[in-house]
Order: sequence, then C-alpha cells, then structure tokens
Amino acid sequence: MTTPATITVTAEIRRFDPSQDGEPRYQRFEVEGLANMSVLDVVRSIYENQAGDLAYQFACRIGRCGTCAMRVNGRPVLACQERCKEEMRIEPLTPFPVLRDLVVDRTEIESRLAALELAPKRDAQHPGKPEPIGADLAAKLCNMDSCLLCMVCVSACPAVDERPFDGPAFMLKLRHMAEHPADRGDRLGQALDHGMLECFNCDVCTQMCPADLSPAQAIRDFRKELVFGGVSKR
Amino acid sequence: MTTSSELAVEHCDVLIAGSGAAGMRAAIAAHDAGAKVVLLAKGPRRANHTRMSGGRYNVVTGLNPKDTDDAFFQDTIDSGMGINNYELTRILADEALARAYDLEEYGLAWDRTDVTKYYMSMTGGGTYVRTLGSIDEGIGITEVMLHQMHKRGIRICDFHMLADVIRTDGGDVAGGLVMDLSKGVWRFFSAPAVVIATGGTSQLYETSSGPTINTGDGISIALRAGAELVDIEFMQFIPISFVYPPSARGYTLTEPAHYGMRHFDPNAEAAQLLNNKGERFVLKHDPVRKEGSTRDVLARAIMLEILEGRGTPEGGVFMVPDPQVFESFLKERPIYVKRLLENYGEAQARLEAPIQVMPSALYTLGGVRIDAWCRTSVPGLFAAGEAAGGVHGANRLGGSSMPDIQVFGRRAGIAAAQDALAGRPPEGAGLDRARERAAALTAPIGRAEGVRPIEVKRRVQKLMWDHVGLVRTAARLEETLRAFTDLRRNVLPQLKVTDKSRILNREWMESLELENMLDLAEAMAATSLQRKETRGAFYRTDFPDQDPQWTANLWVKRDGERIVVEKRPVVTLGAAVPAQPLAAAIS
Repeated sequence: MTTPATITVTAEIRRFDPSQDGEPRYQRFEVEGLANMSVLDVVRSIYENQAGDLAYQFACRIGRCGTCAMRVNGRPVLACQERCKEEMRIEPLTPFPVLRDLVVDRTEIESRLAALELAPKRDAQHPGKPEPIGADLAAKLCNMDSCLLCMVCVSACPAVDERPFDGPAFMLKLRHMAEHPADRGDRLGQALDHGMLECFNCDVCTQMCPADLSPAQAIRDFRKELVFGGVSKR
Repeated sequence: MTTSSELAVEHCDVLIAGSGAAGMRAAIAAHDAGAKVVLLAKGPRRANHTRMSGGRYNVVTGLNPKDTDDAFFQDTIDSGMGINNYELTRILADEALARAYDLEEYGLAWDRTDVTKYYMSMTGGGTYVRTLGSIDEGIGITEVMLHQMHKRGIRICDFHMLADVIRTDGGDVAGGLVMDLSKGVWRFFSAPAVVIATGGTSQLYETSSGPTINTGDGISIALRAGAELVDIEFMQFIPISFVYPPSARGYTLTEPAHYGMRHFDPNAEAAQLLNNKGERFVLKHDPVRKEGSTRDVLARAIMLEILEGRGTPEGGVFMVPDPQVFESFLKERPIYVKRLLENYGEAQARLEAPIQVMPSALYTLGGVRIDAWCRTSVPGLFAAGEAAGGVHGANRLGGSSMPDIQVFGRRAGIAAAQDALAGRPPEGAGLDRARERAAALTAPIGRAEGVRPIEVKRRVQKLMWDHVGLVRTAARLEETLRAFTDLRRNVLPQLKVTDKSRILNREWMESLELENMLDLAEAMAATSLQRKETRGAFYRTDFPDQDPQWTANLWVKRDGERIVVEKRPVVTLGAAVPAQPLAAAIS
C-alpha cells in the first residue's frame, strides 16, 4: 500500500483583466501536491490558497463538461485531463477572446454552432416508436455526439490559424448530422461553406482530442462523399 | 462602472434557472407553448450535472412484455421506502417513454440491438430489465437538447446566476434578480413565472461526485421566496469512488471493478472491502450479501470505518478487486481503466492490487415541494429535476434521474408558460426589493477586512460530511445546527472578497453561493434531527431502525430567519392533500 509521490510545480499564469489592465502579465506560483495532480488541481490550489482574484473556469473536473480548456506550455489541453508538470506556463485557450485571466468568451462559438442548425432536419415526424437506426450506426452516431465542444482541436488546428476554416469540432458535429438517417440537410454543402477543404489532413485534432474522438475521420468521410457521393438515406 | 443599486431591467414570460436537462426541457416546452423564454446558466451552458451523468434512462418500452408502468411505479415506491409523492412517481412511470422518444426526435440515438430494438440493461433496484442508454451518455442528451434550443432561438445567458426570486406585494412572482458574472453587473428579469432547475446540493459535502456549481442555489432561493421543501434530509451517496488526486476525489468508480465476478454471476462474491487492519468490516453490517450489499449499506459501512479511525491516511478504505474481470472491464469501461492507471498505477488498473475507495455525495433526493405540474406553494414559482423533491422518496433507483428531468422539465415549462401568458406583474413591480437585495449582496466586495468565502465553504462542507452525511446522530446534529446558525448570523455578514474587479469574480460568486449553502445546510440538519429513524439513504446511529410512524414527509418553510419543520402524511394516490400537519415542530 504505497503512498503516492509528491511534486513541486512552478506555474506561470497569464493574468489579464480588461476592466483594469492595459497589457497581460505573467504571475509565478509554486504549488506542492501529489505528483499525479491535474493541471486543474494546480490552478484550483492557486486560487484557493494564493490568488483569490484568479479567474478560471471548470465544472465537472472529470472531462465531461469541456469548459476548462486552456494552453499549457503552448499546447491546448483540457486542464482536468492533463497531468501537471514541474514547469508550466498556463494561458487561456487561443484564438478566442479573453473574458479575464484563463476564461475565454465562447459567444462566437455558440453562435456558430447555432448557425449550423445541428438538430435533425426532418421531412417526417418522429414515428412515436423506436426510429429505424441500425445498431452499428447508432453506436457511431453516439460516438460522434460524445464531442465535448471543448475547442481543444480548434485551438490546435494549424489550418484554423492560416485559412478560412471553422475547425475540426464543427466538421465533426456536421458529420454527426450527415450520418443521422432522419436528417435531410445538405451537411456536405455546409462543411464546404465552413472551410472543410482547407484542412491539411495532419490529424493533430485527433491526437489532441481529450474525448478520444477523430474529427479528422469526419473530414475524410466528407471528402469521400464529395468525390464518390453519399449513401442514400431514403 | 455600475454601482450596486443599478439594475439592467429586462422582460420575459418565463425565466428558467439552470442549463441541465430539466431547465432545457422546460425552456423547450414553454417556448412551444408560446412563451418568451430566457434560460440562465451559472457557468458556460455545458457546465451542468446532466452532462456528467451516465445518461441511463429507466423506461417501460414494451420490449420486455413482463414489464409494465405499474411495475416501474411500484419499484420506485419500494426503493423510496414508501414516502414518495405517489402522484409524481405515477407520472414518472407513465410519461417516461414519450419523453425518451422526444430525445430521439431531437437526434439522440439510443443503443440498439437491432434497427428498431433498443438495448436494455439492468440497474440497481429494479425488478425488470428496463434501462436504456447511449454511448454518448449525458453528453449526448445535453447536446441534442442544446440544438433544439438553438433551433427555437431560445436565449441562453451564460455566466448568469439567479440570486433571488423577487415577489410582488401580493406575494406573486415578479421576476428574478440575476448576477451577470461575466460583466459583474446586476440584472432584473421581470417575469410572471420562474422555473427553478438548478440541480442538487452535492457541493454542500466535502466529497461529492457532482459539478462544482451544484451548491443548492435554486432550492435555497425557493425557500427564501416562501416555497416549501420536502424530504430535504435525504441525500444519496455512492459507496465506491476515487480517493485521490484531489480532482478525482469523489468521482465514481463503476460496477465491474467493485462487483468483480458478481457483475456476471449473482452467486459470485463482490470485491472485498478492508479497513486499515485488514478486516472485512462489511460483514458486521450485512453478513448475508456481504460486499454485494446495496449502495446505502456499503456507503454507510465504509463511512463508519473512516469516522472511527480505521481508514487509510488518505481517507479511504481498501477494495481488493478481482483480476479475472480485467479484460471485460477494459472492454466495457475503458475510461475507468485509464483513470485507475493515471490516478493509482498500473497494478491497480489491472485490478491486481488493492484500490483505495471512499463514498461520495451523489444526488439530492429532497428539494422544492411541487405538485403534478411542478407548481410550488408560491404563485408563479415552479421547480423541476434534482432541485424538486418527492419523486424518488428515501432512495432513488439508478437510471431514474434521466426520465425525471425530462418528464418534469416539460411539465414545468408547459405550466409556467400557461401561468405567464395569463397575466404579467405590474410594470416596475419588485424593482425596489431587487435593488435592495443587490446592494446587500454586493457588500462583500467593498469590505476591507473579513473572511474569505472559500474558508467558510470548507467548514460547511466538512460539517455536512462529518455530521449531516452518511452517519447522523442527535448530539452531532444539534451541535452542527448551532454551528450553521452561528456561521449564518455572525460570519456571513463578515465575508470579504479579495478582488475588487467585478468581472468573473469567483469569490464574489462564492459569497452568493455560501448564503444558499448555509440556508440549506440548516434545513438539512434541522430535518435530520426531526426524523427519528433510519430509512433508505437516511441513517441515524441513535435510531437505527425503520419506524412505521415515520412513513411520512417533512416539509420545511422559512418564517423570517426561523426554519419551520412540519411532519406530514405521505400523499398517496387518491388521497387528498391534508390541510393540517400531523404535528408541528419548530426549531
């Protein structure tokens, strides 16, 4: 019955309050704790014991709500799912506007999601009994719908940086509807409008996804549909 | 900069607090009934308890010909130890299926064995196999509902915390006083109907499985607004959760690891639980079912060991898993294998070494007292979901929370819209009260000396965990109740906030939460003291047996700062709601 090892973490946190600060600044903190603390554990400890004025966001702390995404040493991560390191530079998630310190403004993200009209576009009412969906397809739909919308993949995507591309998560959400048997929307058309072809196919989104999903595969499936046509849903 | 008395005033028909499934379902139903709806989320909209759930959904689908709505109803009453509100339980059983189809219409794909056959599984407590699920769990449910919100153009206000429900001079709802945390400004939403869908109270406890936002805000707000609470002494705990690191503490460790071969074979033994002396302490509590006993018995047994000093230094006990189930565990719940590996180590992840476990606060069984249409005793005030009480009684079946929040979320939305469209509060009603309250709640920002909210929050959580949790007794409850009253009277007015900026000021938010937590902690301790028996999730060491005299509910209301507790007979089907309490007890 071993006692877990401990660690001393030096964290440099980017501070910025738009109501008071002209420029962001970095503040250093030291935190001692279990070696397997998450980044979120470190941030929480700093707030609770050293900096009561630190603004940060989390809710579930187990990788479900997707609201604690931030950049650690330049990499976008979900803070609750990332193990701490001895030296960390912790910053808010780019490229989103900062509300304060580590909290970003998701207003535009939510507007984009709303504009994609991600509810199934039905030409008939739900039958009032189990809707015909194959068991494997149901599993695939659920898998795609496990996306946290944490925006880690959008932050990591090099194409988002350089080109007119909304980002991997949005493509995954569109693909979810494209494969839903009741949906009659032109999801491929929407994916094209939102920059699907700008993707480099580098797979970084899949590697970074804290929910182990593959937005890159969703994009590949759209590209296949573009070239070879989709499967009829009728 | 806005001063404390400045209020941005807005109008809507139905104001809903809470962005989980109950709140969203209420919003959808109210919108479809013709109401102008505003939904408030305390954090970003995805920060809610529904999203953390396994999404398992009890429902009689007709796929199992033996199962009926009557059987579902009876199982829920049995599990609730007969103190459920029978009418609400009946509605749950009767309407769960229609709401499951609603979710499918919204885009959710329930797991299937065939094109039109749902995959059903068993959860604890039910007589028949009647639980639906989907691989996307609570995430999928909240996502498809959000898309329906978007489709209808329903306004969602992120980072907006309901601080209080304001009433007119006549006692009707005038609207909600709301803190816009992202800007640090007060808003008043003038509205004839307010729906409380803010979830439970798990954050009142030191160790809990729920999201950090569940500080019982809406339940306390309803209590302050004059509504009654019911069954608030009942809190459900899970027995087996992670002990460390801090972020994982309280998070559920799921069945296969715990049940071992019993997960597949009812005659096999579950994983043994050992205290720091290596003793199988569960045998003292349930020599027949042993570690395969029910959640409430196991949780209580583990807590007693910890409280009596036979736990680990980290505050848990040891579970000795069965390595035989590793392959299926890996296949069925890979995420838990990953978490065991990250939190504890490879030997534990392979189920080859003892795993430290502890109980955790899971679900608030009581809440705001509602009728069949989610009306509270305050005209214009509604409640649904975990914030409401009565559906599950003294214990909840695994898988029954998901249908609850859909069924009653919808009912709350329909009724709130109907009320709202019948008439509005007079222009300007409640504004002075709202201003006065906003000024009082802004005071901690201006205070130079005092106590940080987090310090008081920790004290409340520790007191609740030790004395108003799994193991309760008169002496400790009395002591704790006095401590809560003292904190509310003497420490709450001394709260200070480190930071003077109003934007996303977490300590300021915590000062608002703390008042809610203390109001509720007092009500939970006071009712626990009154209930002199042990029933379901509720355990008193000084009254260890169930008492038929206590097949009754405790209703709580506030009279100024006083908490008034009344014992009431259970409302069974066909029974009229009694006009007079059985006995009145004032604490």
